[in-house]
Amino acid sequence: MKATLGTLVRTSYVAGLGILIGLSAAVIANLFVAGIMWLNDSLLISPRSRMMASSEWLLVVATVLVPASGGLAVGIIKHFINDKHFHGPPDIIANVQTRQGMPATRSGLLTALASLFSLGSGASVGQYGPLVHLGGLLGSLWSRLFRMDISTTNIAIACGVAAAISTIFHAPIAGILFAQEVILRHFSLRALAPIAVASMVGYVAANTILPQPPLLQIESAEIVHFWEFGLFLLLGMASAIIAVVYMRSILWVGQHARAMPLPPLTRPAFAGASLGVVALWFPEILGAGGETLRFALIDEAFSQWELAILLILKILATAWCLGMGFAGGVFSPALLIGSLFGALFGSLVAVFSGATSSAVVVYAVCGMVAVTAPVIGAPMTTVIIVFEMTGHYPLTIAALSSVALASLTTSRLFGRSLFDRQLHQRGLDLSGGRSKALLTTHNLQSLITPECLQLNADTRVEQAIQAISEAQVSEAYLVNSDGRYAGTVHLHALVSAASEDEARRYCQPDDLYLYIDTPLWESMQALQDFIGERVPVIDRQGQLIGAVVESDVIRAYLNILAEMRREEYAPH
Amino acid sequence: MRLINTLLIGLFICLPQLTTASPKGPPTPLIVATWGGAYQEALEEVLFKPFTAATGIDVQTMPYSGGLEILDASPPPDLIDMTQNAAMTACEKGQLMPLTFDHLPDGADGTPASRDFIDDGMSECALAHLVYATVIAYDTRAFKGYSPTRVHDLFNLEDFPGKRALQSIPDANIEWALRSFDIPRESLYSLLSTPRGISLVFKRLESLKPHTLWWEEGNEPVELLESGKAVMASGYNGRFFSAIAKGSPIQIIWNSQIQEQQTWTIPVAANNKAAAEDFMRFATTTQRLAAVAERIAYGPARQSASSLLHKHPEGFDISHHIPTHPYNNQTAITKDVGWYARVREHINMRFLEWRSGTP
Repeated sequence: MKATLGTLVRTSYVAGLGILIGLSAAVIANLFVAGIMWLNDSLLISPRSRMMASSEWLLVVATVLVPASGGLAVGIIKHFINDKHFHGPPDIIANVQTRQGMPATRSGLLTALASLFSLGSGASVGQYGPLVHLGGLLGSLWSRLFRMDISTTNIAIACGVAAAISTIFHAPIAGILFAQEVILRHFSLRALAPIAVASMVGYVAANTILPQPPLLQIESAEIVHFWEFGLFLLLGMASAIIAVVYMRSILWVGQHARAMPLPPLTRPAFAGASLGVVALWFPEILGAGGETLRFALIDEAFSQWELAILLILKILATAWCLGMGFAGGVFSPALLIGSLFGALFGSLVAVFSGATSSAVVVYAVCGMVAVTAPVIGAPMTTVIIVFEMTGHYPLTIAALSSVALASLTTSRLFGRSLFDRQLHQRGLDLSGGRSKALLTTHNLQSLITPECLQLNADTRVEQAIQAISEAQVSEAYLVNSDGRYAGTVHLHALVSAASEDEARRYCQPDDLYLYIDTPLWESMQALQDFIGERVPVIDRQGQLIGAVVESDVIRAYLNILAEMRREEYAPH
Repeated sequence: MRLINTLLIGLFICLPQLTTASPKGPPTPLIVATWGGAYQEALEEVLFKPFTAATGIDVQTMPYSGGLEILDASPPPDLIDMTQNAAMTACEKGQLMPLTFDHLPDGADGTPASRDFIDDGMSECALAHLVYATVIAYDTRAFKGYSPTRVHDLFNLEDFPGKRALQSIPDANIEWALRSFDIPRESLYSLLSTPRGISLVFKRLESLKPHTLWWEEGNEPVELLESGKAVMASGYNGRFFSAIAKGSPIQIIWNSQIQEQQTWTIPVAANNKAAAEDFMRFATTTQRLAAVAERIAYGPARQSASSLLHKHPEGFDISHHIPTHPYNNQTAITKDVGWYARVREHINMRFLEWRSGTP
């Protein structure tokens, strides 16, 4: 009876957590989107406001000045962020994967503000990355309020992310999948319950509080021939190339922007101004491009040349804006780039096959998800988003065919996702799975014991043997007069040596030592062939800090794995 | 500007006292510009005659079929029955009196007027009195087997051949043309704001051009359908309703109906502003709005009036024929009057160019 009551209390706690986070994330997400739309309308970025503008020259001035001044604001905000980079989904992933708990709140909020300015002023960046990040941040703030442990904090972060996705796409199942596929990277029953609740609440709230229209409404999309599924597979592979080009361009501009003779503060402003100048001829490249995305789904809206030109321009514009320091995501531009490519592919199929193929909307949707899924590393989420937004089963299957090969091809050519690649550049390798990521982010610091025998480097063998025997150990570490580590002497090597010799002559040249910042993962690799009780630990300047006991390293390793298992499999 | 507004409003408030203070001679008649036909007959019955009986002020009507030219008429009308869209444009040009709404009575259920009127019903220069819809209707004799049900069928000459009667302005035609590409109604005006959207619209309308009869007066589409000269027509739902009530073989397609408010406005040039304001107050009580709606099947502008709707004088339930009825409302497009007020000249010019064949 008592046990049942306890279960009920715990279940209500889980549900309550999901409701709180879901509701707050949904409200924040809708506010954020409404804010962007308001800025776009007020600043003559949205087509409706541009059409209604009172004069032609006002439009020209706004098109150049608005993105430029937005860029300036973004540059200034970046100046106040401690680590000088905008936070986003990769930071959330890193925090959750390495169990470091709370993402940085101040930097996170400043990033959200910078994203609002970027998107509001028409930069070619996405809005979903900032929303996912904001959702995660909100989840972690709730977890701090309730003083949760790390595992629960991770789940709270995932709840916030799921609710944000669910709200903005009106897609609760996709929200759950994204949180588990991209953020948590495991599918535990313990995490599912609160995440599902948060996602549902987000969905309900999205339709009642400040509701925003869904991204995509497709009324009819018929697949005419079954052989077209072969073309969808082919489109998937081709889309992978587009996705790789897109991601490489973003990284390339990011790397080369640093070498530009422009102070970091003014880089986004310069990018904004140049974007505005191009937008005088191609206004489609401004902002997230919802209108262009909608047109890409219509057969007669574009010629093939227009599709190709806009495709290239959108890739360049997005890489330019993100690389030069605007804040924003990669998801919405990927949707547009993918749908333009899909539409181009579809119209070429119609030209070359001469057969009546399916409407261009089917190809556009396939291209859209096939470019987007590999960029964010979430194949299942994107397929489910299509299903939940359109409710169209054959279209979903078509999208699945494209996504499957796109993700596989991209993972071979590039890696799991842009997020993972960015984290890799920052030194976090997620390609070996969660356990490796955790073990590479924990180092030896906390395991070091200062209790070890240190001897001067010029100690004689006789003195060394005496000191080792008195300390009742089997080895001693030799240290130069400046405190630098000079080698390890073992008792068994000294006993047969001449007593007047310097002890350091009997050091093994390949004796194992570890650096203080060596990750646990590498320490375990190094210890594989080690025989002995302790390993000396030095800092990067060569100073001896202390030693680690092998069994402590193994215990730490097992503890981390156990914690991880608890997060994934514990019943509550 | 604000000062002028305040002065005008002040003047407006003082005027009723000024006119009622002069007892000599018969009161100056009130000139109302309105839309003729069955609609005007209903207004005569429910509003004009009772108003004259109650105040002794005679109501003279002036024919009106939209647009802003009426503001230059001589003598000027005292009150105009304007679409919300025209009212907004005229108001921006400073041709209409700014209004205050403090004097409007509460709804029949006690709701204060400010909350009783529909959203955006009270604007700077206009007071909404009903919601009308521009709808597509068809001649029920024209198609055997199956009938048109949605906006796409207006452009489907293969399954539904025959002449279309369309209003000779861009309004409704451009929304429907874009809607026929499956563009969701929420995105219509964003996409109509792009050159690409406009070119798609004219591509679609071009396919219909040889089969189109253009109409200007509200009663024409009804006559064109009744006489069999057109098989499908756009028109105001109230006009079609009156014809259907009299037994005409016409059916309304509610899919993608375009809703707009009809408003009372007072031109700056009006000579009898006091009577105009009295009339406005008289004509927008819950009971009068419901009485108009019951005859002409437009949606009343007060929520308290909607719940009173019941029977047409002929005896059938009127509520199903009202555009704002939940069943009819599902796919309704709300006309973006703010958009039209700004782009009117540009979009009219594009439409005229297209109609006259110059690219």
